[in-house]
Amino acid sequence: MNASSVPPDTGGQPVRSGSRSAADRGRETEAAHLVELMTLSSRGHEEAFAELYDRTSQRIYGIILRVLRSPDHAAEVMQEVYVEAWRQSARYSPEKGSVIAWMTTMAHRRAVDRVRSVSSEVARDERYAFQGGDREIDQVWDGVEQRIDVERVRRGMASLTPIQREALTLAYFGGYTQSQVAQLLKLPLGTVKTRIRDGLIGLRDALGVEA
Amino acid sequence: MSEIHGAVGSYVVNALDPDELEEFEAHLAVCPTCTREVQEFGETAAELSLLASVTPPPTLRSSILAAISEVRPLPPEPLAEGAAAEPSPAVSETAPAERPIDELAQKKLALRRQQRRTRILTALVAAVVAAALALGGVVYGLVNARQAQVAEQAEATELLTAPDVRTYTATMKDGGQISFVVSRSLNRAMFIGKDLPAVGADQTYQLWTLEGQHPIPDNLVAGGGDRQEFFRESLNGVTGLAVSVENAAGAQQPNPSTIQVVTELAA
Repeated sequence: MNASSVPPDTGGQPVRSGSRSAADRGRETEAAHLVELMTLSSRGHEEAFAELYDRTSQRIYGIILRVLRSPDHAAEVMQEVYVEAWRQSARYSPEKGSVIAWMTTMAHRRAVDRVRSVSSEVARDERYAFQGGDREIDQVWDGVEQRIDVERVRRGMASLTPIQREALTLAYFGGYTQSQVAQLLKLPLGTVKTRIRDGLIGLRDALGVEA
Repeated sequence: MSEIHGAVGSYVVNALDPDELEEFEAHLAVCPTCTREVQEFGETAAELSLLASVTPPPTLRSSILAAISEVRPLPPEPLAEGAAAEPSPAVSETAPAERPIDELAQKKLALRRQQRRTRILTALVAAVVAAALALGGVVYGLVNARQAQVAEQAEATELLTAPDVRTYTATMKDGGQISFVVSRSLNRAMFIGKDLPAVGADQTYQLWTLEGQHPIPDNLVAGGGDRQEFFRESLNGVTGLAVSVENAAGAQQPNPSTIQVVTELAA
């Protein structure tokens, strides 16, 4: 996502509403529901896991595909991630973070591991990371609240400096190591490391995400 | 310390290079601030996935749901059990931001530190292992000698002295004597390698647990010399152990042509 794909109209201000919006409450309800589904899954309820899949699969598949580019590899990693989430469901604890963060972390790590082990097979077209996202999102997110969430994250990204945004994008969506990001951006490694961390801090503050 | 502290962002987005990853994980074990940031940034990074959302192919849903019906969810970990059922007063009275580092994570990191110490002691252990292997993998001599010599190897000692400990010895395809030390009651297994053949600079040995035909990637072991390494996975549902040679980053599926050993475990 480069600057041109992000709405430019936020003036760099973090977006935080003063009172809790319906979207905030909706996110909390959804998060609590996912914890319930995970708990039921740990007791072997396959239909609860099917619902968990339906509520999370677009985001999990999306991030895997974005990192891997290849639908074949993405399908394999997706299967690994969900089978592992089912296997480990009793070991998920809300104290470790939200269900979506737990699953996204697992998915991202496995996608990145796969990229680094097969990088010679997969053509690495870094431009992909900067293109095409908007159209996909429009196809996927029909609900108003979901659109609001996407907008919220986009505005959060827009509140970052261009280098923070680019470093974070290449690392997270591109699956590059920080030294590869440093090469791509022609910046010292230490600078890239700081920008990635600052980018996450800025995004965290803009989104008001609580651990 | 402050420099390694700055790696927390790259850690969360899986952008650390292997050397720094190991260094940072060691730091994470002793730094509550970084532990908290890892969790917070994990939530933040998860929000980014909203920007990537894509509907997966419908066939994937049916194949995943078919797959899970053949997999039994693991039981809760003993530590997580109590915490999940009724939070201890210490935890519930503490503000979320000040919660103690997750006990389980702490235990895992302590184990990782233990493994690092264990590697340092490998040279010492190797002599004993050699003796044990020479005796056809009799583990009890190993136990007694090591208990005296390496008292601080609590994890290893616990495994080696488990009442049901079994040792499986084998010779790898490309040479090198190895043992798997296994305790079903502890649900733990350890790999011990003697004179492991060197592997390419961009290669590593990788351990695998097998659930029937399904291999699950486990810890990596460097080539060359004498090595010992715990399996990361518990042995619930595990029917076999294997070692392969893979690219340095490790693999999700073993490369069939470089599998070194497959050992079936007694139930």
